[in-house]
Amino acid sequence: MREPLGGTVVRRMRPDSVEGRPSEDTDLVERAQRGDQDAYGELVRRYQALATRTAYVITGTAADAEDAAQEGFTKAYFALDRFRTGAPFRPWLLRIVANEAKNRRKAAGRRPTVDLSVAEDRPSGDTALSPEAAALAGERKESVLAALRQLREEDRLVIAYRYFFELSEAEMADALACARGTVKSRLSRALARLRELASRQVSLDG
Amino acid sequence: MAEHMDERELERTLAQIGRGLPPPSRDLWPLVRARIASGRKRPWWPSVGLPRFALAPALVTLLVLAVAAIGLTTNLVADAERILGLRGVQIFKVPETPTPPPSTQASPVLFTGTRALSVADASKIAGFVVQAPAALGDPDAIYVDASPTRVTLVFSSRPGIPPAAQIGVSALVVEIRGAVDQQLMGKAIGPGTTLEPVEVSGAPGFWLAGSPHLFFLRDANGVPQMETLRLAENTLLWERGGVTYRLEAQVTRDEAIRIASSFR
Repeated sequence: MREPLGGTVVRRMRPDSVEGRPSEDTDLVERAQRGDQDAYGELVRRYQALATRTAYVITGTAADAEDAAQEGFTKAYFALDRFRTGAPFRPWLLRIVANEAKNRRKAAGRRPTVDLSVAEDRPSGDTALSPEAAALAGERKESVLAALRQLREEDRLVIAYRYFFELSEAEMADALACARGTVKSRLSRALARLRELASRQVSLDG
Repeated sequence: MAEHMDERELERTLAQIGRGLPPPSRDLWPLVRARIASGRKRPWWPSVGLPRFALAPALVTLLVLAVAAIGLTTNLVADAERILGLRGVQIFKVPETPTPPPSTQASPVLFTGTRALSVADASKIAGFVVQAPAALGDPDAIYVDASPTRVTLVFSSRPGIPPAAQIGVSALVVEIRGAVDQQLMGKAIGPGTTLEPVEVSGAPGFWLAGSPHLFFLRDANGVPQMETLRLAENTLLWERGGVTYRLEAQVTRDEAIRIASSFR
């Protein structure tokens, strides 16, 4: 089967297993495992934005996302004694948070689509564009957003981990609970579906 | 639009969308701390509060072995999880191989829950796509349990596969979908049981063979369901798409993998 984008995407993905301050994470986790709640509080504050945004990619509502993140942090705390010393904390946490988010969306009985409209209105941080370029960029964003809304949850999550949150390949494998080799193929397939849906969106609009 | 978008533009657009995702509206730590304070740590082994006096002697023997297994420090449990890497499965090493009980009949303990009419019906009840091994033909019976969702496929008699002493049927398949942080089933293996990492159509798995091992399922809270505690023989475990599969049959490793590869 043809895998559009696969090769180039994978080449650019960071193969390293950690990002940020992993050694500090390890220290904080060990302190938290010994009962130091302040250490766990620091971990929460370090990853609350990432956790909430990850949950949002699944739930599509800010309230559910925050609730899923809170519950994920709580469950992770109670599971700390099962956390392997020295393992990366971030992908482990994301697995738990993503699962909480999935449970909430399922319980709410929503359709498997997500409204990312909040994302449309937030400043992008891009440098100033000419009116024509801005219009083009806006159009691109619209079609990609529309496609993302229709993507399957698993596809949206793998794209989010890679492009929204810039997780490394190893972290993605951990967060998605799959083999490292599987990450590349899953990402390739998700991107292919995204392009397909985005092109259909253009057809409908046109 | 997107089909004309080059890869760099697509990446830039996705990054832009990602930057726009909403952060938490407030600091979550005070809220998380409150949840932690009001929460109770979930016991990972239910030795406290068990109605041991009500257990049959054979079960007590098994329990003693299990508890021995769980002389287990949390580090050992962590190691077991790391070794396995399978969703929801924990394997404990015990100092001696459990002795199989005399029963050779399949008992209701094995097959609980709602009886499904077909694999498609089981999928509807379970809420996930149930797969069955084409190599074994249609299951003779299908049961769906809730909390956690568990589907059991029974293959009572198949040519070339003798009924296993512990279950009285040729093959038993259990499919469980659970959360990543959920403990779904446990196994205690003695020195006579071999544990070998294998691959099932690219998915990670483990093959348990040799002497019977102790097997039990956990409920949604992670508490072992004592009525499921029993001995099990050759077993293949693997995980795919968030579902943990377990095939128990007296076949060789390669045959088990062949059967597992035929899941559709």
